[in-house]
Amino acid sequence: MQITLIQGILLALLAFICACDACWEAFFWFRPIVVAFFAGIILGDVQVGLAAGAVAELSYLGLLTVGGTVPPDPLMAGMMTTVIAFTTGQSAETALGLSLPFALLAQWVGIVCNTTFAGFLRPLDHACENADTKKFTQIVLLGLVIKAGIYALITFLSAFALQNQIAGFVNMFPEWLIHGFEISGGLLPAVGLTLLLVVMLKKQNVAYLFIGFLLMTFLKLGNILPVAIAGIAVAFIGYLNDETIKKNAVTVGGGADDDGI
Amino acid sequence: MTVSRNKLDKKDINKMSMLSILEQSCFSFERMQAPGFCLGLLPGLKKIYGDQKEEISDAMKNNMDFINTEPHMATFLQGLILSLEENGQDRALIKSIKTGLFGPLAGLGDAIFWFTLLPISAAICCSLASGGSVLGPILYIAIWFLGAISRLWFGRMGYNMGVGAVDLISSNASAITKAAGILGMMVVGGLIPSYVSLHFAETLVAPGGVSIQAIFDSIMPNILPLGFVFTLYWLFKKKHVNTLMLIILIILVSIVLSFFRIM
Repeated sequence: MQITLIQGILLALLAFICACDACWEAFFWFRPIVVAFFAGIILGDVQVGLAAGAVAELSYLGLLTVGGTVPPDPLMAGMMTTVIAFTTGQSAETALGLSLPFALLAQWVGIVCNTTFAGFLRPLDHACENADTKKFTQIVLLGLVIKAGIYALITFLSAFALQNQIAGFVNMFPEWLIHGFEISGGLLPAVGLTLLLVVMLKKQNVAYLFIGFLLMTFLKLGNILPVAIAGIAVAFIGYLNDETIKKNAVTVGGGADDDGI
Repeated sequence: MTVSRNKLDKKDINKMSMLSILEQSCFSFERMQAPGFCLGLLPGLKKIYGDQKEEISDAMKNNMDFINTEPHMATFLQGLILSLEENGQDRALIKSIKTGLFGPLAGLGDAIFWFTLLPISAAICCSLASGGSVLGPILYIAIWFLGAISRLWFGRMGYNMGVGAVDLISSNASAITKAAGILGMMVVGGLIPSYVSLHFAETLVAPGGVSIQAIFDSIMPNILPLGFVFTLYWLFKKKHVNTLMLIILIILVSIVLSFFRIM
């Protein structure tokens, strides 16, 4: 289906707002599930937005900005998965794979901004020297507006200006290629989860991974909440045990000191 | 000349906490969050020092060093710094407290927000959304709205704790991080069978007429998604394959598997 000029402008505006939040990581509006939901509303097809948001959110789950690294961009992934699913009529899983180039483009924009914004530090230092709080605030906000503006521009160009080219390109794909992208849509959430494991997995807590896996596999639970509650219970037991050990250690340690004196 | 200092009230701290939303604006690789971090302190510093420009300038410069922490924890640190400034603590001490705490606090904040709340909220809301319910994204927005305004609490806590914060954090950070790790691992374990979809085509049959997928299912349901995640883990951890290469590889292999009608 076609995206109209007004829809293109609204999508760009959405990208601007969400890109501000992507800098802040405050309200999590930059996450695919939110971006795709609003994009779906703008396009008049909420179901496409919901489906696209759900697959993209999980695939980009572990791609965290932790430690100042810049991963492929979740905002653009959510946006373009929705847009591609809408304009080509393909499934959300297929659209997810096709949105990757756009997520990479936005990642590259992020890196360029993070590098060039170092140039803002000189004028900021100067404002500190003069205790010029107004100037300081303006420069910081300028950085924000520039970055979000670039996101809005990319979104407008890819979603509106290039929509026929993208749709025409995808519609040339044979059936097996489309199905291939669908398969990858089912596999990519594993990347998100694995990246979480790379940071979180330790010998001390690997057992809990299997407990969670078995609960979910065999209990046919509707969603993850029961597993999370079980997790809180287990973590609490662990915490209490640690407290007891710590307390005993202190008593023993104190005793040893007394002997010494 | 003696420096006079005004007291901050609750409203000033709330204002600081709300401003801390902007903490990662103007992020750059050189000093990371420094500009946004310093920005959040400005109204507080202006109130404390009034028109003593020299003091404001020194305090601003003191907060323009490299800092990279989790945004909610930054609010906590900002509250702490304003309380130290208000009490006229030595700036070198303030700087060393800030530099010493932002690392451990980042670990704590990441464990709470990124490794625990994010997978849980994403999993619950995605299962609603993929079922076609608008409740999915709406609940997600609501959860993270509370997450965002929880910084009011973090800011107040930092301000009220003052210097006492240092001991408390160093004695409790590891316990909380560990508990969050356990919870996070259970949730990730539960997400693997729910969201990783890996199964062979039904038309793919072993000699003897049994479908290949049925063989795997009889060993254990979802054993393929679990094995796939551990294969990826091994590739990341031991082979140091980068994320982008891996994503491209998965897409290419999927297409090949589809072409030969294996999946």
